[in-house]
Amino acid sequence: MATLGVVPSVPATGGDAATPRPAGEHDVNRKRLARLGWSFSTPAFLVIGAFTIFPIGFSVAMSLSHVNVSGSGFSLNGFTGSNYSTLVHAPQWRYALGFTVVYTIVTVLVEVILGTCIALVLERLTKGRGLMMALLLVPWSMITVISAELWGYIYDASYGVLDQIFHAVGLGQPIFLGTPTPAIVAMMVADIWKTTPFVAIIVLAGLVMLPEELYEASEMDGASGWTTFWRVTFPLLRPTIALAVLFRVLQAFGLFDLPFVLTQGGPGYSTTSLAVLGYQVMFQDLNFGPGAAVATSTAVLVLIGCLLFLKVFRAQVGEEGS
Amino acid sequence: MAPITIDKVTKVYPNGFEAVHELELEVADGEFMVLVGPSGCGKTTALRMVAGLEDISGGTLRIGERVVNDVSSKDRDIAMVFQNYALYPHMTVAENIGFALKLRKLPKAEIKKKVEDAASILGLTEWLDRKPGQLSGGQRQRVAMGRAIVREPSVFLMDEPLSNLDAKLRVQMRAEVARIQRRLGVATLYVTHDQVEAMTMGDRVAVMRAGVLQQCDNPQVLYDHPSNLFVAGFMGSPAMNLFEASLGESASSALVGSQRVALPESLHTTRPALRSYANRPVILGIRPEDLLVEGDSIPTGSDYSPLEGDIELVEALGSELLVHFTTDAHRVEAEGAREADAEGLNAGSLTQGGEGVARVEPRAQLLAGRRVRFMLNPARLHFFDATNGKAITS
Ligand SMILES: Nc1ncnc2c1ncn2[C@@H]1O[C@H](COP(=O)(O)OP(=O)(O)OP(=O)(O)O)[C@@H](O)[C@H]1O
Ligand SMILES: [Mg+2]
Repeated sequence: MATLGVVPSVPATGGDAATPRPAGEHDVNRKRLARLGWSFSTPAFLVIGAFTIFPIGFSVAMSLSHVNVSGSGFSLNGFTGSNYSTLVHAPQWRYALGFTVVYTIVTVLVEVILGTCIALVLERLTKGRGLMMALLLVPWSMITVISAELWGYIYDASYGVLDQIFHAVGLGQPIFLGTPTPAIVAMMVADIWKTTPFVAIIVLAGLVMLPEELYEASEMDGASGWTTFWRVTFPLLRPTIALAVLFRVLQAFGLFDLPFVLTQGGPGYSTTSLAVLGYQVMFQDLNFGPGAAVATSTAVLVLIGCLLFLKVFRAQVGEEGS
Repeated sequence: MAPITIDKVTKVYPNGFEAVHELELEVADGEFMVLVGPSGCGKTTALRMVAGLEDISGGTLRIGERVVNDVSSKDRDIAMVFQNYALYPHMTVAENIGFALKLRKLPKAEIKKKVEDAASILGLTEWLDRKPGQLSGGQRQRVAMGRAIVREPSVFLMDEPLSNLDAKLRVQMRAEVARIQRRLGVATLYVTHDQVEAMTMGDRVAVMRAGVLQQCDNPQVLYDHPSNLFVAGFMGSPAMNLFEASLGESASSALVGSQRVALPESLHTTRPALRSYANRPVILGIRPEDLLVEGDSIPTGSDYSPLEGDIELVEALGSELLVHFTTDAHRVEAEGAREADAEGLNAGSLTQGGEGVARVEPRAQLLAGRRVRFMLNPARLHFFDATNGKAITS
């Protein structure tokens, strides 16, 4: 089956493809049900249309127009690609794109590896698993702006805890958020701290669904713990991990809160992500056309990225034919 | 290839429950040993201890000469067929079967050859490239067998491998599994709760009940000479008829309800211990096929005794009749018998209260409501101690 299931492909119990029903009496029923369905979902469609579809459409339109702002609001004058060509030629945009991509790859990679390890440990815990999970979820449940502020205290150059520790062990007093590379690393650490638990919980959910007998069978077949993980556990967890990656990539690519709170994109523009750049261009410089172009291109890029990922992933799942 | 020696092996689960109590069993090289018993009696636990998937709480387990109590399962050289097969869903049939060989780092060509050989034995050749999810239950079962046989292990363990199959396929696979085991000549411990499977497949059968081994012998001995009430009731379908009875003066007759069944001198020469039960209650066991009716061949001059009953119901199975009858004797319900009946293919579980069942050849005069006169061969009667349920054999 070539569907991306949330459920890992554990032994399927025979053909569960829905058998086609005979037409006729069911058709009447189905039409009535469809009408009922539409009447229930109309309010939701209206809300989604007004608050999601329309703004997206409007910002796409803005990114393709000369935007004038007057007392009476926005006016979009004529079609143009100039907003995008401005972006492509702007070093800030190119840097932000590179930064966001690298940041996403590094954080997601570390989070998935760490999260999987944590999930493997949690699965073996018999006592205190619930407590550990609750503790783990504390960072994840915190609002990002607040956790960013907390990390801000830790990294602070004059009274930060980390500074004191570095000083105490004789490593000098580095300025974490004031120098480009340390600032980027500091931000990644804060991100990994916050979202690894999320990945761990998702992977754990996938792990507990794998039947115990598979591990036993693999042990009887002579596999070591390590081999069992790579040959049995990991392949079966792949759909789950892919799901976690997808969620995380979508989130990480929209990185905004952490740089906004910790560095405002600085020093220089070293921590300016695409989202921060879009915000700055649009709401600080009031360049609505290019700002909308940043937002739109970011969305399109992440969409393409995810679709490519899904395609590669689906090809793999498809050949498993669970 | 190696024998398995289970010496006073005990399993106590962490919650304090003793699932297996001092199990003593020896599976000889090449022998097919069936472990049978009602649900929850500790069969799986015993098997998993042999497999090394469960710690042994007491006693010693040997495979060949080696004590393996503390050897991990991957070093015990054992192959196991799991009840739900436990096939790797992400691997093809060929990869599933060859996984253990691949882990042993055998050359690719050799793996391929062994996998193909196993597949042809099991009739899986055309499915080698499929994933387990695309196979039927019977095919999966064979893949699980294949995974076990390519390894050429010293010991085979199987935990109810046929229980997920439909009745027809089960009968077919029964013969298949037995055939493969004989061909490979590997010591095999096979768990089932189906006494028909146990009778037909095992070289020897071990009957367990509540963690305790009841009797271990070849199937015919188990059937003809059950060592206690439980085994008597568990083996055979329909189950053995068990009635409360009391032996008369010098044990020359048994009072079954209001009927007196004469026990001739010949019986006492083969079972002298019966004398000591004179004037005492016993339990009388009669196999359904040992209740003969008029028209059955009864040797002339034999000392058969009659037993009468009223026919309640006649089940026609084509080749034979199951005659349910009532007497005024009190019927003893052996624990586990009912379950064994229900699992059997020809479940004769209509029996109730003071009823008995006879298995006879089809015959016109046996109709519900009529009175029937059975003839009993005293040599084929079973007697059990009424207090401890042990068979009175000597
Ligand atoms: N992990 C455990 N902890 C405590 N008790 C257990 C555990 N596993 C099994 N038991 C108990 O041990 C007894 C034997 O279980 P086992 O699985 O060996 O039975 P079985 O003979 O295989 O039964 P079945 O025919 O139903 O498979 C049961 O009463 C069961 O409740
Ligand atoms: Mg079991």
